Amino acid sequence: MIELASNLHLSQILTGEFRAWLLSGFWMSLQLTFCTLLCALPLSTAIALLRLSSVAVLRWIGFWMVEGVRSVPLLAHLLFWYFAAPELLPESARAWLYEHHAETLCAIFALTLYTSAYMAEDLRSGIRSVPTTQVEAGRSLGLSYLRTMRHVVLPQAIRIAIPPLISQTLNLWKNTSIATVIGTAELMYQAQRVETASFRGVETFLVTTLAYLTVSLLITGFAAWYQHRFPIRTA
Amino acid sequence: MQSKIISLARVGALTGIAALLLGAGLARADQLSDIKKKGELIIGVLGTDEPHSFVDPKTREIVGYEVDLGKAIAKQIGVKPVIKQLTVAARVPELQQGRVDILAAALTHTKEREAVIDFSLTTFLTGQKVMVRKDSGITQVAQLAGKRVTTVKGGTQEPNMRKAVPSVQVVTFETAPQAFVALQQRKATAFVNDEVSLQDAFGKLGPAQKDYVILPQSISSEALAIGIKKGESSLKAVVDSTLRDLEKSGAAEKLFIKWFGPGTKVNYPKREFKIDTDQIPG
Repeated sequence: MIELASNLHLSQILTGEFRAWLLSGFWMSLQLTFCTLLCALPLSTAIALLRLSSVAVLRWIGFWMVEGVRSVPLLAHLLFWYFAAPELLPESARAWLYEHHAETLCAIFALTLYTSAYMAEDLRSGIRSVPTTQVEAGRSLGLSYLRTMRHVVLPQAIRIAIPPLISQTLNLWKNTSIATVIGTAELMYQAQRVETASFRGVETFLVTTLAYLTVSLLITGFAAWYQHRFPIRTA
Repeated sequence: MQSKIISLARVGALTGIAALLLGAGLARADQLSDIKKKGELIIGVLGTDEPHSFVDPKTREIVGYEVDLGKAIAKQIGVKPVIKQLTVAARVPELQQGRVDILAAALTHTKEREAVIDFSLTTFLTGQKVMVRKDSGITQVAQLAGKRVTTVKGGTQEPNMRKAVPSVQVVTFETAPQAFVALQQRKATAFVNDEVSLQDAFGKLGPAQKDYVILPQSISSEALAIGIKKGESSLKAVVDSTLRDLEKSGAAEKLFIKWFGPGTKVNYPKREFKIDTDQIPG
């Protein structure tokens, strides 16, 4: 341990341009996480509702949106949505995409799809754990299906679903690292760049690990606080 | 809990890598005698960089100029050659950790890298150049100012490109072919690589060649060499003597003609260097 410490040259990568690269990567990883979360929450809610629909076709669509996406590794998703899918777009849409940070937009798109599939299942479990008598009560008060969902079921379901959703957010934060393969300049991408330029692999990955760990622990801490502050009430 | 376990596993893996990297710095037995003892020489190659090392579509085996050099070295030592495919970015760390014995991976000999690994005699001289689409109207490297340029992660291409045109935006990928696909898909204005690899990529374009052009200026000159772990002087001695023998017997010339000479995709008329020095200018 002492030898390890004396061999480290942390200051070399924590100053000047190396620090700037790592910080820009860290910031990009945070942005990827936030933007994806923002898109994934409504999409996963829609998928969960599809899966719970009384219409068979809608249930079937929801089922495939979850199983189809979850069955493919995230790495394959990223490569597909960056290298293959944009080629199917019409010329003008493709030109627009390639002029507007295609690496970042495709990463957000792929991460959103992937995260939504998992979040939809957490939301569906949350909704299913609200007793059906609550729906019956809502409907018998004259509320429509969607209004019953909005005012009666979802408020209870979300409370149950939030701890697993925070856990999915933690996975999302770590999954952003895979976007390096499509040239998204997130933390892992910049870490590899610093490693190549500095030959300080140990220090670079140590700092990078600590950065991932810090944010992960903050998310875990938030989950613990939430569960303490808003315990699940049983109906 | 599940996710906590995952994040712990990740930390464990990374600290494991860290420990291995540090361990590699500690004194150990002579590597050449280890190679003889285990009876095999592990040669790290890229496998995605025709004609240095690439997968032969017929045999599905990795072949190429650097593979032949590596096999000649194994033969000289009297052991079996084992080819191991690496990414550009992983090359140097894999050598430092001792997972490969030598690197024959389009590795540029640089002063910066001399601080962490040793180099054999220079085995190939090339420049780095830039390929653009003709319809971009770009004819000079300087016109790439502010433009997006793709290349492979972990090589000398990115720093050299930034040195040539400081305001350029570089996007890097795991392999050179991926970076080339990004150019073809118009995700960037230009693609940078070693000239030989660029010529080869150009050759593979077929009829689409008319839409692309390789700019005449080199952004750097690169001396490629076999990478050897720092301080393994007896291994370096046998690598260098093999290369010297190949040069003396004319076999090095033949290898050059086989992989780069007339009729190949690269189609160089003749060899303009000799394998005779492990020094680089500067």
